[in-house]
Amino acid sequence: MLELKHELKLAKTRDEKARMNFVSGLRAHVLNDMATGMRTVYEGDVEPGFRRSAGRTPKDGPEVHKAIKPNEYFKFYSSLRVTAQDMVWQSVFPPLERNRGALKSKATALAKTKRRERRAEHGSLTLQPGFEVPRYVSAIDVHLMAGNYDGEYEANDLAAGALYDNGLAVFSFGLMGQNLDDIGQSIAGFIRLKYPHLKPKKILDLGCTIGHNTGSWRDQFPAAEVHGIDVAAPCLRYAYARAEAQGRAIHFTQMNAEALDFPDASFDVVFSSMFLHEIPQKGIANIMREAFRVLRPGGLMLHMELPPNSQLSAYDAFYLDWDSAYNNEPFYKPFRDLKPEELCRKAGFDPKKYVQFVIPSVGWYGEKVWSESATQPRDVDNDKTGRLTDGILWYCFGAWK
Amino acid sequence: MSAARTTSSKGASKPKAKVKPKAKAKAKPTAVADTPSRQPMRRTIRGGRPYFFADPAIDKLLNMLVVLGSEVWTLRERLAALEAIQIRQGGLAAGELDAHEFSAEDESRLAAERKEFIDSLFRILQEQVEEARRR
Ligand SMILES: C[S@@+](CC[C@H](N)C(=O)[O-])C[C@H]1O[C@@H](n2cnc3c(N)ncnc32)[C@H](O)[C@@H]1O
Repeated sequence: MLELKHELKLAKTRDEKARMNFVSGLRAHVLNDMATGMRTVYEGDVEPGFRRSAGRTPKDGPEVHKAIKPNEYFKFYSSLRVTAQDMVWQSVFPPLERNRGALKSKATALAKTKRRERRAEHGSLTLQPGFEVPRYVSAIDVHLMAGNYDGEYEANDLAAGALYDNGLAVFSFGLMGQNLDDIGQSIAGFIRLKYPHLKPKKILDLGCTIGHNTGSWRDQFPAAEVHGIDVAAPCLRYAYARAEAQGRAIHFTQMNAEALDFPDASFDVVFSSMFLHEIPQKGIANIMREAFRVLRPGGLMLHMELPPNSQLSAYDAFYLDWDSAYNNEPFYKPFRDLKPEELCRKAGFDPKKYVQFVIPSVGWYGEKVWSESATQPRDVDNDKTGRLTDGILWYCFGAWK
Repeated sequence: MSAARTTSSKGASKPKAKVKPKAKAKAKPTAVADTPSRQPMRRTIRGGRPYFFADPAIDKLLNMLVVLGSEVWTLRERLAALEAIQIRQGGLAAGELDAHEFSAEDESRLAAERKEFIDSLFRILQEQVEEARRR
Protein backbone atom coordinates (compact mmCIF):
# COMPACT_ATOMS: atom_id res chain seq x y z
CA MET A 1 0.00 0.00 0.00
CA LEU A 2 1.05 3.50 -0.77
CA GLU A 3 1.81 5.65 2.28
CA LEU A 4 0.74 9.27 1.96
CA LYS A 5 3.78 11.52 1.99
CA HIS A 6 2.38 14.54 3.80
CA GLU A 7 1.47 15.60 7.32
CA LEU A 8 -2.23 14.77 7.03
CA LYS A 9 -1.55 11.08 6.71
CA LEU A 10 -3.46 9.03 9.26
CA ALA A 11 -1.86 6.90 11.94
CA LYS A 12 -2.74 3.30 11.17
CA THR A 13 -2.25 0.09 13.06
CA ARG A 14 -0.21 -2.74 11.59
CA ASP A 15 -3.45 -4.59 10.82
CA GLU A 16 -5.06 -1.60 9.13
CA LYS A 17 -2.03 -1.27 6.88
CA ALA A 18 -2.17 -4.97 6.08
CA ARG A 19 -5.85 -4.71 5.12
CA MET A 20 -5.04 -1.83 2.80
CA ASN A 21 -2.21 -3.83 1.28
CA PHE A 22 -4.61 -6.66 0.67
CA VAL A 23 -7.21 -4.45 -1.03
CA SER A 24 -4.57 -2.86 -3.27
CA GLY A 25 -3.36 -6.34 -4.20
CA LEU A 26 -6.89 -7.52 -4.83
CA ARG A 27 -7.56 -4.55 -7.12
CA ALA A 28 -4.36 -5.14 -9.05
CA HIS A 29 -5.41 -8.75 -9.48
CA VAL A 30 -8.90 -7.88 -10.72
CA LEU A 31 -7.85 -4.99 -12.98
CA ASN A 32 -4.74 -6.59 -14.46
CA ASP A 33 -5.01 -10.37 -14.31
CA MET A 34 -8.77 -10.84 -14.36
CA ALA A 35 -9.24 -8.07 -16.93
CA THR A 36 -6.86 -9.94 -19.22
CA GLY A 37 -8.70 -13.17 -18.43
CA MET A 38 -12.05 -11.61 -19.27
CA ARG A 39 -10.81 -10.39 -22.63
CA THR A 40 -9.59 -13.88 -23.39
CA VAL A 41 -12.95 -15.37 -22.40
CA TYR A 42 -14.66 -12.78 -24.59
CA GLU A 43 -12.52 -13.44 -27.64
CA GLY A 44 -12.49 -17.22 -27.29
CA ASP A 45 -16.02 -17.76 -26.14
CA VAL A 46 -18.47 -14.89 -26.04
CA GLU A 47 -17.71 -13.21 -29.35
CA PRO A 48 -17.70 -16.44 -31.42
CA GLY A 49 -21.08 -17.30 -29.85
CA PHE A 50 -22.44 -13.89 -30.81
CA ARG A 51 -21.11 -14.27 -34.35
CA ARG A 52 -22.70 -17.68 -34.73
CA SER A 53 -26.15 -16.41 -33.86
CA ALA A 54 -26.02 -12.87 -35.28
CA GLY A 55 -23.77 -13.46 -38.26
CA ARG A 56 -21.60 -10.46 -37.35
CA THR A 57 -19.48 -9.10 -34.50
CA PRO A 58 -20.95 -6.83 -31.78
CA LYS A 59 -21.11 -3.31 -33.10
CA ASP A 60 -20.63 -1.35 -29.89
CA GLY A 61 -20.06 -1.45 -26.13
CA PRO A 62 -23.69 -2.11 -25.17
CA GLU A 63 -23.84 -5.14 -27.50
CA VAL A 64 -20.68 -6.55 -25.97
CA HIS A 65 -22.11 -5.91 -22.52
CA LYS A 66 -25.33 -7.74 -23.34
CA ALA A 67 -23.44 -10.69 -24.80
CA ILE A 68 -21.01 -11.07 -21.92
CA LYS A 69 -23.48 -10.52 -19.09
CA PRO A 70 -24.55 -14.18 -18.66
CA ASN A 71 -20.91 -15.32 -18.66
CA GLU A 72 -19.68 -16.63 -15.33
CA TYR A 73 -16.24 -15.11 -15.61
CA PHE A 74 -17.82 -11.70 -16.16
CA LYS A 75 -19.90 -12.24 -13.04
CA PHE A 76 -16.90 -13.11 -10.91
CA TYR A 77 -14.88 -10.23 -12.33
CA SER A 78 -17.71 -7.79 -11.66
CA SER A 79 -18.68 -9.08 -8.28
CA LEU A 80 -15.07 -9.07 -7.10
CA ARG A 81 -14.52 -5.61 -8.52
CA VAL A 82 -17.51 -4.25 -6.61
CA THR A 83 -16.29 -5.95 -3.45
CA ALA A 84 -12.78 -4.54 -3.92
CA GLN A 85 -14.17 -1.06 -4.58
CA ASP A 86 -16.22 -1.20 -1.41
CA MET A 87 -13.27 -2.56 0.57
CA VAL A 88 -11.14 0.42 -0.54
CA TRP A 89 -13.37 2.76 1.48
CA GLN A 90 -14.00 0.23 4.24
CA SER A 91 -10.24 -0.04 4.78
CA VAL A 92 -10.05 3.72 5.40
CA PHE A 93 -13.05 4.18 7.72
CA PRO A 94 -11.57 2.69 10.91
CA PRO A 95 -8.37 4.77 11.04
CA LEU A 96 -10.27 7.82 9.78
CA GLU A 97 -13.10 7.57 12.28
CA ARG A 98 -10.57 7.21 15.06
CA ASN A 99 -8.46 10.16 13.91
CA ARG A 100 -11.02 12.67 12.74
CA GLY A 101 -10.51 14.99 15.70
CA ALA A 102 -6.75 14.97 15.38
CA LEU A 103 -6.98 15.44 11.63
CA LYS A 104 -9.07 18.55 12.04
CA SER A 105 -6.70 20.13 14.57
CA LYS A 106 -3.71 19.27 12.41
CA ALA A 107 -5.30 20.94 9.39
CA THR A 108 -6.17 24.04 11.39
CA ALA A 109 -2.67 24.20 12.85
CA LEU A 110 -1.11 23.75 9.42
CA ALA A 111 -3.04 26.65 7.94
CA LYS A 112 -2.00 28.86 10.87
CA THR A 113 1.68 27.92 10.96
CA LYS A 114 2.03 28.41 7.26
CA ARG A 115 0.39 31.78 7.48
CA ARG A 116 2.68 32.79 10.34
CA GLU A 117 5.73 31.76 8.36
CA ARG A 118 4.84 34.49 5.88
CA ARG A 119 6.20 32.83 2.86
CA ALA A 120 6.55 35.17 -0.07
CA GLU A 121 3.45 33.50 -1.41
CA HIS A 122 0.88 31.33 0.18
CA GLY A 123 -2.34 29.77 -0.88
CA SER A 124 -5.87 30.49 0.22
CA LEU A 125 -9.19 28.85 0.95
CA THR A 126 -12.49 30.53 0.13
CA LEU A 127 -15.76 28.80 0.94
CA GLN A 128 -19.19 30.23 0.18
CA PRO A 129 -21.71 30.05 3.03
CA GLY A 130 -25.01 28.70 1.77
CA PHE A 131 -23.42 27.34 -1.40
CA GLU A 132 -25.74 25.08 -3.35
CA VAL A 133 -24.11 21.78 -4.29
CA PRO A 134 -25.58 20.39 -7.54
CA ARG A 135 -27.88 17.39 -7.12
CA TYR A 136 -25.62 15.22 -9.26
CA VAL A 137 -23.07 15.48 -6.44
CA SER A 138 -25.24 15.81 -3.34
CA ALA A 139 -27.61 12.94 -4.14
CA ILE A 140 -25.29 10.03 -4.94
CA ASP A 141 -22.33 8.13 -3.58
CA VAL A 142 -20.07 8.19 -6.64
CA HIS A 143 -17.84 5.13 -7.07
CA LEU A 144 -19.46 3.56 -4.02
CA MET A 145 -17.85 6.14 -1.71
CA ALA A 146 -20.30 6.54 1.16
CA GLY A 147 -20.88 10.22 1.89
CA ASN A 148 -19.52 11.31 -1.49
CA TYR A 149 -17.26 14.37 -1.87
CA ASP A 150 -19.53 16.81 -0.09
CA GLY A 151 -20.85 14.85 2.91
CA GLU A 152 -20.27 16.71 6.17
CA TYR A 153 -20.69 15.43 9.69
CA GLU A 154 -19.86 18.56 11.65
CA ALA A 155 -18.71 22.16 11.19
CA ASN A 156 -15.41 22.56 9.33
CA ASP A 157 -15.38 18.87 8.51
CA LEU A 158 -12.70 17.53 6.20
CA ALA A 159 -13.30 13.82 6.62
CA ALA A 160 -14.52 13.37 3.02
CA GLY A 161 -11.21 14.78 1.75
CA ALA A 162 -9.26 12.38 3.93
CA LEU A 163 -11.45 9.48 2.85
CA TYR A 164 -10.68 10.32 -0.78
CA ASP A 165 -6.93 10.83 -0.31
CA ASN A 166 -6.40 7.68 1.73
CA GLY A 167 -8.83 5.73 -0.42
CA LEU A 168 -7.10 6.77 -3.63
CA ALA A 169 -3.79 5.55 -2.22
CA VAL A 170 -5.34 2.08 -1.81
CA PHE A 171 -7.45 2.25 -4.98
CA SER A 172 -4.66 3.21 -7.37
CA PHE A 173 -2.28 0.36 -6.41
CA GLY A 174 0.68 2.57 -7.26
CA LEU A 175 -0.50 3.58 -10.74
CA MET A 176 -1.29 7.16 -9.77
CA GLY A 177 2.15 8.01 -8.45
CA GLN A 178 3.72 8.20 -5.01
CA ASN A 179 1.97 11.50 -4.34
CA LEU A 180 -1.20 10.52 -6.27
CA ASP A 181 -0.29 13.17 -8.83
CA ASP A 182 0.85 11.10 -11.79
CA ILE A 183 -1.93 12.57 -13.95
CA GLY A 184 -0.93 16.12 -13.08
CA GLN A 185 2.80 15.53 -13.40
CA SER A 186 2.49 13.60 -16.67
CA ILE A 187 0.19 16.13 -18.29
CA ALA A 188 1.42 19.49 -16.95
CA GLY A 189 4.97 18.34 -17.69
CA PHE A 190 4.01 17.19 -21.18
CA ILE A 191 2.44 20.58 -21.94
CA ARG A 192 5.57 22.38 -20.73
CA LEU A 193 7.75 20.20 -22.97
CA LYS A 194 5.50 20.37 -26.00
CA TYR A 195 4.78 24.09 -25.87
CA PRO A 196 7.94 25.79 -24.62
CA HIS A 197 6.52 29.16 -25.68
CA LEU A 198 3.63 28.81 -23.26
CA LYS A 199 4.27 30.92 -20.16
CA PRO A 200 0.97 30.81 -18.26
CA LYS A 201 0.39 33.49 -15.64
CA LYS A 202 -2.85 32.01 -14.33
CA ILE A 203 -4.00 28.40 -14.32
CA LEU A 204 -7.39 27.02 -13.26
CA ASP A 205 -8.17 23.42 -12.27
CA LEU A 206 -11.88 22.53 -12.38
CA GLY A 207 -13.27 19.91 -9.97
CA CYS A 208 -9.94 19.72 -8.16
CA THR A 209 -11.24 17.62 -5.20
CA ILE A 210 -8.23 17.45 -2.82
CA GLY A 211 -5.91 19.28 -5.22
CA HIS A 212 -3.71 16.22 -5.74
CA ASN A 213 -3.30 17.00 -9.44
CA THR A 214 -3.60 20.78 -9.08
CA GLY A 215 -0.22 21.01 -7.38
CA SER A 216 1.61 19.69 -10.44
CA TRP A 217 0.74 22.83 -12.39
CA ARG A 218 2.42 24.87 -9.71
CA ASP A 219 5.46 22.55 -9.84
CA GLN A 220 5.74 22.69 -13.62
CA PHE A 221 4.97 26.41 -13.94
CA PRO A 222 6.28 27.96 -10.72
CA ALA A 223 5.66 31.50 -11.97
CA ALA A 224 1.94 30.88 -12.41
CA GLU A 225 -0.87 31.67 -9.99
CA VAL A 226 -2.76 28.40 -9.63
CA HIS A 227 -6.45 28.11 -8.70
CA GLY A 228 -8.49 25.03 -7.90
CA ILE A 229 -12.28 25.06 -7.66
CA ASP A 230 -14.76 22.45 -6.52
CA VAL A 231 -18.27 22.30 -5.11
CA ALA A 232 -17.32 20.09 -2.14
CA ALA A 233 -16.32 22.06 0.97
CA PRO A 234 -14.79 19.16 2.97
CA CYS A 235 -12.53 18.27 0.04
CA LEU A 236 -11.47 21.90 -0.42
CA ARG A 237 -10.60 22.29 3.28
CA TYR A 238 -8.50 19.18 3.02
CA ALA A 239 -6.99 20.30 -0.30
CA TYR A 240 -5.88 23.59 1.21
CA ALA A 241 -4.27 21.95 4.26
CA ARG A 242 -2.64 19.33 2.02
CA ALA A 243 -1.18 21.95 -0.31
CA GLU A 244 0.11 23.99 2.63
CA ALA A 245 1.65 20.84 4.14
CA GLN A 246 3.45 20.27 0.85
CA GLY A 247 4.56 23.89 0.60
CA ARG A 248 2.50 24.66 -2.50
CA ALA A 249 0.73 28.00 -2.79
CA ILE A 250 -2.63 27.25 -4.39
CA HIS A 251 -5.90 29.14 -4.19
CA PHE A 252 -8.89 26.92 -3.49
CA THR A 253 -12.39 28.29 -3.93
CA GLN A 254 -15.82 26.74 -3.61
CA MET A 255 -17.41 27.35 -6.98
CA ASN A 256 -19.60 25.63 -9.53
CA ALA A 257 -17.73 25.05 -12.80
CA GLU A 258 -21.01 25.60 -14.64
CA ALA A 259 -21.09 29.22 -13.44
CA LEU A 260 -17.59 30.44 -12.65
CA ASP A 261 -17.12 33.52 -10.58
CA PHE A 262 -14.08 34.67 -12.59
CA PRO A 263 -13.96 37.51 -15.13
CA ASP A 264 -13.82 36.87 -18.88
CA ALA A 265 -10.38 36.19 -20.36
CA SER A 266 -8.66 35.79 -16.99
CA PHE A 267 -6.80 32.45 -17.35
CA ASP A 268 -4.08 31.12 -19.64
CA VAL A 269 -4.80 27.45 -18.94
CA VAL A 270 -8.09 25.87 -17.87
CA PHE A 271 -7.56 22.25 -16.90
CA SER A 272 -9.58 19.42 -15.42
CA SER A 273 -8.86 15.77 -14.75
CA MET A 274 -11.27 12.88 -14.25
CA PHE A 275 -13.95 15.53 -13.92
CA LEU A 276 -16.33 15.71 -16.90
CA HIS A 277 -17.36 12.06 -16.68
CA GLU A 278 -19.06 12.78 -13.35
CA ILE A 279 -21.24 15.56 -14.82
CA PRO A 280 -24.52 15.23 -16.76
CA GLN A 281 -24.36 16.22 -20.43
CA LYS A 282 -26.13 19.53 -19.92
CA GLY A 283 -23.67 20.49 -17.20
CA ILE A 284 -20.72 19.51 -19.41
CA ALA A 285 -21.92 21.92 -22.10
CA ASN A 286 -22.14 24.74 -19.53
CA ILE A 287 -18.69 23.93 -18.20
CA MET A 288 -17.15 24.01 -21.67
CA ARG A 289 -18.74 27.39 -22.36
CA GLU A 290 -17.47 28.74 -19.06
CA ALA A 291 -13.96 27.45 -19.82
CA PHE A 292 -14.08 29.27 -23.14
CA ARG A 293 -15.28 32.46 -21.48
CA VAL A 294 -12.60 32.64 -18.75
CA LEU A 295 -9.76 31.77 -21.15
CA ARG A 296 -7.62 34.52 -22.62
CA PRO A 297 -7.25 34.46 -26.41
CA GLY A 298 -4.28 32.19 -27.04
CA GLY A 299 -5.00 30.22 -23.87
CA LEU A 300 -5.38 26.44 -23.63
CA MET A 301 -8.31 24.40 -22.34
CA LEU A 302 -7.36 20.82 -21.51
CA HIS A 303 -9.42 17.99 -20.02
CA MET A 304 -7.82 14.75 -18.94
CA GLU A 305 -10.52 12.13 -19.35
CA LEU A 306 -11.53 8.63 -20.30
CA PRO A 307 -11.28 8.22 -24.06
CA PRO A 308 -14.51 8.61 -26.05
CA ASN A 309 -16.39 5.54 -27.24
CA SER A 310 -16.17 6.78 -30.84
CA GLN A 311 -12.40 6.22 -30.77
CA LEU A 312 -12.36 2.76 -29.18
CA SER A 313 -13.12 -0.81 -30.21
CA ALA A 314 -16.48 -2.24 -29.12
CA TYR A 315 -14.82 -4.34 -26.42
CA ASP A 316 -12.75 -1.50 -24.97
CA ALA A 317 -15.82 0.72 -24.96
CA PHE A 318 -17.69 -1.96 -23.00
CA TYR A 319 -14.75 -2.39 -20.65
CA LEU A 320 -14.60 1.29 -19.70
CA ASP A 321 -18.36 1.63 -19.45
CA TRP A 322 -18.42 -1.03 -16.75
CA ASP A 323 -18.16 1.77 -14.18
CA SER A 324 -21.24 3.48 -15.53
CA ALA A 325 -23.37 0.41 -15.01
CA TYR A 326 -21.90 -0.90 -11.77
CA ASN A 327 -19.83 1.71 -9.96
CA ASN A 328 -22.40 4.44 -9.32
CA GLU A 329 -21.11 6.54 -12.20
CA PRO A 330 -24.36 7.37 -14.01
CA PHE A 331 -22.82 10.11 -16.18
CA TYR A 332 -19.77 8.17 -17.25
CA LYS A 333 -21.16 6.48 -20.36
CA PRO A 334 -23.24 9.49 -21.47
CA PHE A 335 -20.02 11.53 -21.33
CA ARG A 336 -18.04 8.92 -23.23
CA ASP A 337 -20.72 8.81 -25.92
CA LEU A 338 -20.05 12.49 -26.72
CA LYS A 339 -17.52 13.55 -29.32
CA PRO A 340 -14.85 15.75 -27.71
CA GLU A 341 -14.26 17.74 -30.93
CA GLU A 342 -17.94 18.64 -31.02
CA LEU A 343 -18.00 19.62 -27.37
CA CYS A 344 -15.19 22.09 -28.01
CA ARG A 345 -16.74 23.44 -31.19
CA LYS A 346 -20.14 23.98 -29.55
CA ALA A 347 -18.47 25.90 -26.72
CA GLY A 348 -17.04 28.37 -29.25
CA PHE A 349 -13.62 26.93 -29.99
CA ASP A 350 -12.29 26.91 -33.54
CA PRO A 351 -12.31 23.25 -34.75
CA LYS A 352 -8.89 23.84 -36.30
CA LYS A 353 -7.55 24.51 -32.82
CA TYR A 354 -8.75 21.20 -31.33
CA VAL A 355 -6.03 19.06 -29.71
CA GLN A 356 -5.90 15.62 -28.14
CA PHE A 357 -3.05 13.66 -26.63
CA VAL A 358 -2.28 10.19 -25.39
CA ILE A 359 0.40 10.66 -22.75
CA PRO A 360 2.34 7.81 -21.16
CA SER A 361 2.27 7.87 -17.35
CA VAL A 362 5.61 9.36 -16.30
CA GLY A 363 5.65 7.14 -13.21
CA TRP A 364 5.08 3.92 -15.13
CA TYR A 365 7.14 4.53 -18.28
CA GLY A 366 9.88 6.76 -16.86
CA GLU A 367 11.11 10.18 -18.00
CA LYS A 368 12.60 9.01 -21.30
CA VAL A 369 9.57 7.39 -22.93
CA TRP A 370 7.30 10.02 -21.43
CA SER A 371 9.28 13.00 -22.73
CA GLU A 372 9.67 11.43 -26.19
CA SER A 373 5.89 11.30 -26.43
CA ALA A 374 5.85 15.10 -26.72
CA THR A 375 7.16 14.69 -30.26
CA GLN A 376 5.73 11.27 -31.15
CA PRO A 377 1.93 11.24 -31.08
CA ARG A 378 0.13 8.02 -30.15
CA ASP A 379 -3.19 6.55 -31.23
CA VAL A 380 -6.13 6.59 -28.83
CA ASP A 381 -7.31 3.11 -29.80
CA ASN A 382 -5.31 1.06 -27.35
CA ASP A 383 -6.38 -1.06 -24.41
CA LYS A 384 -4.13 0.94 -22.09
CA THR A 385 -5.63 4.35 -22.86
CA GLY A 386 -7.38 5.81 -19.85
CA ARG A 387 -7.50 2.47 -18.15
CA LEU A 388 -6.13 1.86 -14.66
CA THR A 389 -3.81 -0.99 -15.55
CA ASP A 390 -0.10 -1.68 -15.89
CA GLY A 391 1.25 0.50 -18.70
CA ILE A 392 -1.41 3.17 -18.35
CA LEU A 393 -1.65 5.98 -20.90
CA TRP A 394 -3.52 9.20 -20.00
CA TYR A 395 -5.92 10.64 -22.55
CA CYS A 396 -6.72 14.34 -22.81
CA PHE A 397 -8.46 16.67 -25.21
CA GLY A 398 -9.05 20.39 -25.50
CA ALA A 399 -8.53 23.41 -27.68
CA TRP A 400 -6.68 26.69 -27.99
CA LYS A 401 -8.72 29.84 -27.82
CA MET B 1 -16.72 -2.81 20.33
CA SER B 2 -15.62 0.70 21.23
CA ALA B 3 -14.35 -0.44 24.62
CA ALA B 4 -12.03 -2.92 22.99
CA ARG B 5 -10.89 -0.27 20.54
CA THR B 6 -10.04 2.30 23.14
CA THR B 7 -8.01 -0.05 25.25
CA SER B 8 -6.24 -1.62 22.33
CA SER B 9 -5.38 1.68 20.70
CA LYS B 10 -3.78 3.28 23.73
CA GLY B 11 -0.33 2.19 22.68
CA ALA B 12 -0.58 4.12 19.43
CA SER B 13 1.50 7.22 18.94
CA LYS B 14 0.36 10.46 20.54
CA PRO B 15 0.67 13.82 18.82
CA LYS B 16 3.96 15.57 19.49
CA ALA B 17 3.45 18.35 22.01
CA LYS B 18 5.51 20.87 20.11
CA VAL B 19 5.34 21.39 16.40
CA LYS B 20 8.69 22.49 15.09
CA PRO B 21 7.94 25.63 13.12
CA LYS B 22 10.83 25.24 10.72
CA ALA B 23 10.59 21.55 9.93
CA LYS B 24 12.74 20.81 6.89
CA ALA B 25 10.86 19.94 3.74
CA LYS B 26 12.56 16.55 3.62
CA ALA B 27 11.81 15.51 7.21
CA LYS B 28 9.47 12.53 7.34
CA PRO B 29 6.02 13.84 8.18
CA THR B 30 4.55 12.63 11.44
CA ALA B 31 1.17 11.00 11.04
CA VAL B 32 -2.04 12.42 12.38
CA ALA B 33 -2.24 10.59 15.65
CA ASP B 34 -4.86 8.54 17.40
CA THR B 35 -7.46 10.02 19.63
CA PRO B 36 -9.31 7.59 21.84
CA SER B 37 -12.77 8.56 20.60
CA ARG B 38 -14.17 7.13 17.40
CA GLN B 39 -16.35 9.50 15.35
CA PRO B 40 -18.46 7.17 13.22
CA MET B 41 -19.20 7.92 9.57
CA ARG B 42 -21.83 6.43 7.30
CA ARG B 43 -20.34 3.37 5.63
CA THR B 44 -23.33 2.20 3.58
CA ILE B 45 -23.62 3.20 -0.07
CA ARG B 46 -26.66 5.22 -1.12
CA GLY B 47 -28.33 3.49 -4.05
CA GLY B 48 -27.17 0.05 -2.95
CA ARG B 49 -24.72 -2.16 -4.79
CA PRO B 50 -25.06 -4.22 -7.97
CA TYR B 51 -25.32 -8.00 -7.92
CA PHE B 52 -24.28 -10.26 -10.76
CA PHE B 53 -25.19 -13.86 -9.99
CA ALA B 54 -28.65 -15.29 -10.47
CA ASP B 55 -28.93 -15.36 -6.72
CA PRO B 56 -27.45 -12.26 -5.01
CA ALA B 57 -26.58 -14.52 -2.11
CA ILE B 58 -23.65 -15.73 -4.20
CA ASP B 59 -22.27 -12.21 -4.54
CA LYS B 60 -22.67 -11.75 -0.81
CA LEU B 61 -20.91 -15.00 -0.02
CA LEU B 62 -18.10 -14.04 -2.36
CA ASN B 63 -17.78 -10.73 -0.52
CA MET B 64 -17.53 -12.56 2.80
CA LEU B 65 -14.93 -14.87 1.40
CA VAL B 66 -12.81 -11.96 0.25
CA VAL B 67 -13.14 -10.10 3.56
CA LEU B 68 -12.08 -13.30 5.23
CA GLY B 69 -9.16 -13.54 2.83
CA SER B 70 -8.22 -10.02 3.81
CA GLU B 71 -8.20 -10.93 7.49
CA VAL B 72 -6.14 -14.03 6.84
CA TRP B 73 -3.65 -11.92 4.97
CA THR B 74 -3.65 -9.34 7.76
CA LEU B 75 -2.76 -12.03 10.25
CA ARG B 76 0.04 -13.27 8.08
CA GLU B 77 1.52 -9.80 7.82
CA ARG B 78 1.23 -9.35 11.55
CA LEU B 79 2.86 -12.70 12.22
CA ALA B 80 5.64 -11.90 9.79
CA ALA B 81 6.27 -8.62 11.63
CA LEU B 82 6.24 -10.36 14.98
CA GLU B 83 8.55 -13.08 13.81
CA ALA B 84 10.97 -10.57 12.36
CA ILE B 85 11.05 -8.64 15.63
CA GLN B 86 11.49 -11.80 17.65
CA ILE B 87 14.28 -13.04 15.48
CA ARG B 88 16.01 -9.68 15.66
CA GLN B 89 15.76 -9.67 19.43
CA GLY B 90 16.37 -13.36 19.92
CA GLY B 91 13.25 -13.54 22.09
CA LEU B 92 11.42 -16.62 20.91
CA ALA B 93 12.41 -20.12 21.97
CA ALA B 94 11.45 -23.20 19.99
CA GLY B 95 8.02 -24.58 20.94
CA GLU B 96 7.18 -21.55 23.08
CA LEU B 97 4.37 -20.33 20.84
CA ASP B 98 2.60 -23.69 20.79
CA ALA B 99 2.75 -23.97 24.54
CA HIS B 100 1.45 -20.47 25.22
CA GLU B 101 -1.70 -19.89 27.35
CA PHE B 102 -3.40 -16.47 27.36
CA SER B 103 -4.02 -14.61 30.60
CA ALA B 104 -7.65 -13.91 31.53
CA GLU B 105 -7.15 -10.27 30.62
CA ASP B 106 -5.72 -11.12 27.20
CA GLU B 107 -8.49 -13.63 26.74
CA SER B 108 -11.25 -11.04 27.23
CA ARG B 109 -9.55 -8.51 25.00
CA LEU B 110 -9.30 -11.14 22.29
CA ALA B 111 -12.97 -11.96 22.72
CA ALA B 112 -13.91 -8.33 22.00
CA GLU B 113 -11.62 -8.22 19.00
CA ARG B 114 -13.03 -11.48 17.70
CA LYS B 115 -16.52 -10.02 17.89
CA GLU B 116 -15.40 -7.05 15.83
CA PHE B 117 -13.78 -9.42 13.34
CA ILE B 118 -16.97 -11.39 12.93
CA ASP B 119 -19.05 -8.21 12.61
CA SER B 120 -16.89 -7.01 9.77
CA LEU B 121 -17.04 -10.41 8.08
CA PHE B 122 -20.81 -10.22 7.92
CA ARG B 123 -21.09 -6.47 7.41
CA ILE B 124 -22.69 -6.93 4.00
CA LEU B 125 -25.80 -8.49 5.52
CA GLN B 126 -26.21 -5.45 7.72
CA GLU B 127 -26.85 -3.33 4.64
CA GLN B 128 -30.22 -4.93 4.07
CA VAL B 129 -31.07 -4.31 7.70
CA GLU B 130 -30.15 -0.64 7.40
CA GLU B 131 -32.16 -0.30 4.21
CA ALA B 132 -35.18 -1.86 5.87
CA ARG B 133 -34.71 0.43 8.85
CA ARG B 134 -34.79 3.50 6.60
CA ARG B 135 -38.06 2.45 5.02
C1 LIG C 1 -13.52 12.53 -9.79
S1 LIG C 1 -13.38 14.01 -8.92
C2 LIG C 1 -12.04 14.83 -9.72
C3 LIG C 1 -10.72 14.33 -9.30
C4 LIG C 1 -9.53 15.15 -9.57
N1 LIG C 1 -9.70 16.30 -10.43
C5 LIG C 1 -8.44 14.27 -10.12
O1 LIG C 1 -7.64 14.75 -10.88
O2 LIG C 1 -8.39 13.08 -9.76
C6 LIG C 1 -14.74 15.01 -9.38
C7 LIG C 1 -14.83 16.29 -8.57
O3 LIG C 1 -15.66 17.22 -9.24
C8 LIG C 1 -16.41 17.94 -8.28
N2 LIG C 1 -17.55 18.54 -8.97
C9 LIG C 1 -18.66 17.91 -9.42
N3 LIG C 1 -19.47 18.78 -10.06
C10 LIG C 1 -18.85 19.99 -10.02
C11 LIG C 1 -19.18 21.28 -10.52
N4 LIG C 1 -20.31 21.51 -11.17
N5 LIG C 1 -18.30 22.28 -10.30
C12 LIG C 1 -17.15 22.06 -9.64
N6 LIG C 1 -16.79 20.86 -9.14
C13 LIG C 1 -17.63 19.84 -9.33
C14 LIG C 1 -16.72 16.91 -7.24
O4 LIG C 1 -17.04 17.52 -6.00
C15 LIG C 1 -15.41 16.12 -7.19
O5 LIG C 1 -14.55 16.63 -6.24
